[in-house]
Amino acid sequence: MTGRPDEPQLRAWMQAAIAGDGAAQAQLLSALAPRLRAFFRSRGTRPEDAEDLVQETLIAVHTKRALYDPGQPLTAWVYAIARYRLIDRWRREGRRGVQIPIDTYENQLAAEEHEAGDPVRDVATLLSSLPAKQRRAIELVKLAGQSVREAADATGWSESDIKVSVHRGIKALARLVAGPPGRGSQS
Amino acid sequence: MKTDDLIAALSREVEPASRTPLMMRTVMALLGGGAVSLLLMHLTLGVRPDIGVAMWTVAAKAGFCAVLAVAGGVAALKLGRPGRSGRALAPWLALVACGFLVAAVTLASMEPGLRWGAWTGGGIPWCVVLIPAFALPVATGLVWAWREAAPTGLTMAGAAIGALAGAVGALVYAMHCPIDSVPFVAAWYGVGIGLTAGIGALLGRWFLRW
Repeated sequence: MTGRPDEPQLRAWMQAAIAGDGAAQAQLLSALAPRLRAFFRSRGTRPEDAEDLVQETLIAVHTKRALYDPGQPLTAWVYAIARYRLIDRWRREGRRGVQIPIDTYENQLAAEEHEAGDPVRDVATLLSSLPAKQRRAIELVKLAGQSVREAADATGWSESDIKVSVHRGIKALARLVAGPPGRGSQS
Repeated sequence: MKTDDLIAALSREVEPASRTPLMMRTVMALLGGGAVSLLLMHLTLGVRPDIGVAMWTVAAKAGFCAVLAVAGGVAALKLGRPGRSGRALAPWLALVACGFLVAAVTLASMEPGLRWGAWTGGGIPWCVVLIPAFALPVATGLVWAWREAAPTGLTMAGAAIGALAGAVGALVYAMHCPIDSVPFVAAWYGVGIGLTAGIGALLGRWFLRW
C-alpha cells in the first residue's frame, strides 16, 4: 500500500507525542488502527469486538505512552499491548472453547507474533518444509498455474503422480498452518 | 464512539509525558515499604542486640540482599512496561543460584561434623517464612506504585515484584537475624526470597492487572 507509515515514521510520531505533540499522536493512532484491526481479526475476533479492542488498545497506547522506551521497536510495543488487551478480553468473557491458562495464551500469541511477518517469505518457508516432490508439484500447478499435463511434462512424473503430490502437499501445508491441535477455533 | 472521534479526543489530551515516573514510584514504594517493614521488625522481633559488634556481618548479609534487590529491581522496571522481557529475571536467578553454590562449596569445605549445624543454623530456618512476611509491606507499596505501570506479562512481572520485595524484606530481616553462618544465609535467604518471588508470580495476574 502506498504511503503506509513504516516503523521509523511511527517511532518519530511517538517521540513527538511523548513530547506533547497532539497532532503527531493523532497520526500515530490513525496509522495504528488498521494494523490493530487486522491483528485482532486474524486472531478470531468478531468485527464488532475487534473495533472495541482497537479502541481499548489505542487508549492504552495513549495513557501508557510514558512507558515507551525510545530505544525499543514501537510496533512490538504496541502489539504487546494489543495481545494483553486480547487476553484480558478472553479472560473476562471466559473464552469459549478450550480453556488454556493465561500464560499459554500469551506464549501462543507471542509465538504467532514472532512468526507474523512477510507473507511471501512465510509461504516460501512453509513450502520448504515439504518433501521435494510435493513442493515442486505445488509450485508448478498451484503457484505457477500450470496444468497437470504441463507439470507432468516438465518434471517427467506421471499426471496421477502430480495430482497425488499436490493433494498430499496441500494437506501437509494445512496441517502446518493450523498448528498444534486444540488451539481455539482456528481449524 | 467512532474510532476516529476517539483518536481526536485522545490527542486533545496530550501533554509532555515524562519517562521517569515508574522508576521514581518504585523507589518511593521501596523506601516507604522498607520503612514500614523496619518498624514492624523492630516492634516484633527487635534488632539483634549485638549489632554493634556484628556490624560487618550484618553488612555482608545486607549486601547480599541489596545485590539481589538491584537485580530484581532492574528486572521489574523492564517487566513493568509493555513488551516481551521473558529473560529479565535471569540475572537475579543467577545470583540466587550463586548463593546456593556458595553455600554448597562452603559446606563441602567444612568438617563433616560441623556441616549440619552450619546449614541449619542450629534450628529451623525461620527466615524462609519471615522474609516473605517482611516483604509484604514492600510488595504492597510496589503494587500501589505500579498502578501506573503496564506489564504485559503478569506472571513474570509479579515474580519480579516478589523478587524485589523479597530482597528488601530480607535486608530488613538481616537486622534481626542472629545466625551468621555463611552457608545458612546463602542458602536460606535465597529460599526465602525465591519463595516471595514465587508468590508474586502466582498473585501477579490479580494484583497487576490494568
